[in-house]
Amino acid sequence: MNPYWGKDFFEFFSLLFLRLVRAMKGDLAFCDLASDEVQLLVLAGVGISTSLIGNLLILKRMTMLANALSHTILLGLVSAYLFLFPLMGASEEGIGMDLNLLMAAAFFTSLFTVLSTEFLKRVAKVQEDASIGLVFTTLFALGITAVTLFARNLHLEADAVMGNVDALHLHDLKLVGFVALLNAVVMLLFFKEWKITAFDSRLAASLGFCPLLFDLLLLFQTALTLVGAFRAVGVFLVLALLVFPPLAARRLTHNLGRLFFLSPLLGAAASVLAVALSRHLLSVYHLALSTAGLLVFILGCLYLLLLLPSLTFRKKKGIIL
Amino acid sequence: MHALEIEQLTVSFDKTPVLWDINFSLPTGRLCAVVGPNGAGKSTLLQAILGIVKPLSGTIRLLGEEARKVQARVAYVPQRSSVDWNFPISVLDVVLMGRYRKLGLFKWPKASDRDAARSILKKVGMLEYESRQISQLSGGQKQRLFIARALLQQADLFLLDEPFAGVDMATEKEILELLGKLKQEGKTLLVVHHDLSTVQNYFDWALLLNTALVASGPMEEVFHQANIFRAFGKRHALLEEVARLSGDVL
Amino acid sequence: MTSLVDFLTDSVLRGPTIGSMLMCIATALVGVILLIRKETLLGEALSHAAYPGIVGSALFASLIFKTPGADEGMSVILGAFLSASLGLFLISFLQKKVSLHSDAALCMILSLFFGVGVLLASRLQVTHAVWYKQISLYLYGQAATLVDRDMAIYAVLVLITALCVFFLYRFVQWIYFDRAFAKSVGASVRKVEFLVHFLLILSIVIGMRSVGVVLLSGMLIAPAVAARRWTSRLSMLFFLAALIGGGSAFLGNYLSVNLPLLFHRESLALPTGPMIVLVGAAISLFSLFFSLESGLIFRAYRMRAFKNRCLLENVLKRLWKEGEKREFSFSEIVHFNQLSSLSGSLLFFKMRCQGWLQRKGKGRYRLSSDGWRRASRTVRLHRLWEVYLVDYLGQHADRVHRSAEEIEHLLSYELERELTRLLKDPKKDPHKQPIPNDHESLLG
Repeated sequence: MNPYWGKDFFEFFSLLFLRLVRAMKGDLAFCDLASDEVQLLVLAGVGISTSLIGNLLILKRMTMLANALSHTILLGLVSAYLFLFPLMGASEEGIGMDLNLLMAAAFFTSLFTVLSTEFLKRVAKVQEDASIGLVFTTLFALGITAVTLFARNLHLEADAVMGNVDALHLHDLKLVGFVALLNAVVMLLFFKEWKITAFDSRLAASLGFCPLLFDLLLLFQTALTLVGAFRAVGVFLVLALLVFPPLAARRLTHNLGRLFFLSPLLGAAASVLAVALSRHLLSVYHLALSTAGLLVFILGCLYLLLLLPSLTFRKKKGIIL
Repeated sequence: MHALEIEQLTVSFDKTPVLWDINFSLPTGRLCAVVGPNGAGKSTLLQAILGIVKPLSGTIRLLGEEARKVQARVAYVPQRSSVDWNFPISVLDVVLMGRYRKLGLFKWPKASDRDAARSILKKVGMLEYESRQISQLSGGQKQRLFIARALLQQADLFLLDEPFAGVDMATEKEILELLGKLKQEGKTLLVVHHDLSTVQNYFDWALLLNTALVASGPMEEVFHQANIFRAFGKRHALLEEVARLSGDVL
Repeated sequence: MTSLVDFLTDSVLRGPTIGSMLMCIATALVGVILLIRKETLLGEALSHAAYPGIVGSALFASLIFKTPGADEGMSVILGAFLSASLGLFLISFLQKKVSLHSDAALCMILSLFFGVGVLLASRLQVTHAVWYKQISLYLYGQAATLVDRDMAIYAVLVLITALCVFFLYRFVQWIYFDRAFAKSVGASVRKVEFLVHFLLILSIVIGMRSVGVVLLSGMLIAPAVAARRWTSRLSMLFFLAALIGGGSAFLGNYLSVNLPLLFHRESLALPTGPMIVLVGAAISLFSLFFSLESGLIFRAYRMRAFKNRCLLENVLKRLWKEGEKREFSFSEIVHFNQLSSLSGSLLFFKMRCQGWLQRKGKGRYRLSSDGWRRASRTVRLHRLWEVYLVDYLGQHADRVHRSAEEIEHLLSYELERELTRLLKDPKKDPHKQPIPNDHESLLG
């Protein structure tokens, strides 16, 4: 029985707080987590991992490429499922359970996308925007066809688009946590390298760093983050999580370090609000809405909120921190 | 010893040649202007020297050695227009980038690095702006910022891409003084310059470029009407046609 | 399996198929303009931005009509149009007033609008499942269930699109040939931009039933990219793109019905969108490889052929330098030119076939008069180029040899004539060596 059943917005948070206190005292174990809490934690984890990566994607102008990846990931997942699943033997039901499988899916995805785009751009001399567009629509079309023909049972198409928070388990928490941690480590470790390759890749090259390697690493991280996120929010909506928290945080600070700190906070906060709001709407208005959709809506509102000061005051700054 | 020795350098993007069979050498301690029309390959020349752009053929020797070995002794001051000024980074952080090569991977800048950066900022008169985000600087300040970064690198060869573009007279004087000081310290400077009226006063060596080399050498010898005419005249049509043909089959 | 012809004749199949073809012709035409303006990613963003409009209009209509019926098509089109227009407005607002880079602005609107659409759809799914199913068709496209009334509406819209493209032709031509000039004409460019964006939204609204909002940008891009490989004339570009677009739609519909049968899934009908895009992409890929001028296969062939010619000419030159009467044995030729025995034999065979090598006795050969002339030509071109570099470009005599070694294989007859005229028919090269005469080097 879900303790959050019937709770409205404020009751949600007071219950959450109470349970948090109990958990810290040791009265509450992991397996006692209510499904709302699992959703909350997973979404927050997703919000954190995407925001960290999103900062770099925006600074390096790679967000459209990330959008492309979010389409081709479907093909990567299906490929991993169809080719590796039988090889790797028994794993729990369906996709989303095996970490190795998902890493492999992420790897295939970024590989397909990057190789094809680069091939079109450099060898076939197709212009950049058309290369990206052609590649991801084709690979997505392949993915959808493959899913419909061979993997209907996985319900990938519906879940892939919208995500399915109600199907989240504790296991997903492990995956999301892993990705968030990995992203944080990679960000910290190479902070100055990210800074210079994003700001001035020519200078970076002349100083002995290799911008290309970092671009590839970022792409792989993005694919991995997408894989970690798709079960919760669906592949298309991840883009909002990649883009909005960093841009919102940018309204608050000019400092790169603080950006990396603030954007995950905003992402996580929006996730928590989304789960609470979803519960509220269900309890009070009997409206069962998509939590992922709510999350995107909240992110949009958050951005607008932070944007307004600089628009009304006409100053370029409006910076608080 | 020569600061720069370039032999048969050819660079092309897609099917168009940007630099064609460039041969020239620059002795140390010179303040050399690179002059030519738009699209003549001036920025590309700097990038080729830096190793950012791969040439189709040719060799580049810097300070007596193979270019690759002495990259650390070359500093680059890019065109102001090529930078994203909205990037969330402060003045001090930009200057600190000059130390990144020394730091290598993983290591973070230390207090001593920051102090060195601050003293350089003081030298160019920008210390008070150290925590400003870079979009808040004026044109001249932006220029000085990049020169400061180059200074922190403690390079022997400086490559500057149009440092005098769009700055007022006062700033132009300041930048020129800075460059002059560097020259006195024995550094060599290669500067892409656009203003023909000031070339002879500011520089002592010249390189006239129009995809192919028009002339290079001491200012008095090289900078005269005939050469200027050849540099800024129309690109040799024959050369273009041949280059186009070569692009088809190579 | 239904045959190809059935799709154009069968009373059930032909409506949707032809409708689908018309829709994709419209998107292909607009796609050409987008490709030229390098704005294809805007198409991607706006097609996703249409989604909440589709869902919103369905929500609205579901309050009035219990089941989707006659007017569903109209309201969905209207909703999509409004939603995409709002998206466009916000994108330019973000770029101009908030100074966001286009990359970020596009992705923001794309994801925000799509997310809101998902939010609304989740509501619709619960309250009016029938409507929800209907609008899901617009996600990945399903032309098969088009009714005649919708067809009429779409036909009108396609006609409007074609007319607008026709009207815009002159302006697009300007941009195509001389962007800078087009920019300098200022005011008209803004009006043109408005019309182009209107067309883009119109094409999205037309194409979404057939291809789906998610994949629509594929059918904006693929026909244009494919057509570009076969022609650079603007009128042909439009024509070919439309042809490829229509063809992809036709085959796509065919495949969506018949492909599941191949996999023994009789009851399955694949959404038409992915199938159309796959066909379009396949045609693009084919064009990239096999088109005559810029196709990769032919380019690779041309490069190979050129390399072989260079090798041949270099060998001929070497032999020429030894003197007119000199005789060689086969092994001498091979070793002299540092060839492997295989390439040597091939070259030898080629030279014999062309009549450039004469047999002078047992195992002894020498250059025939034809061969002599052929070799002289290369030497002439080499030395002419050296003169050009030194006299015209002011290069040092000791530096020009390497360049000439490459260029001698490239110069055409016209260029040779031009050089001769420009340099006033020089007789000696910078190294004081004689330049073979024009007559001597004429190819037989």
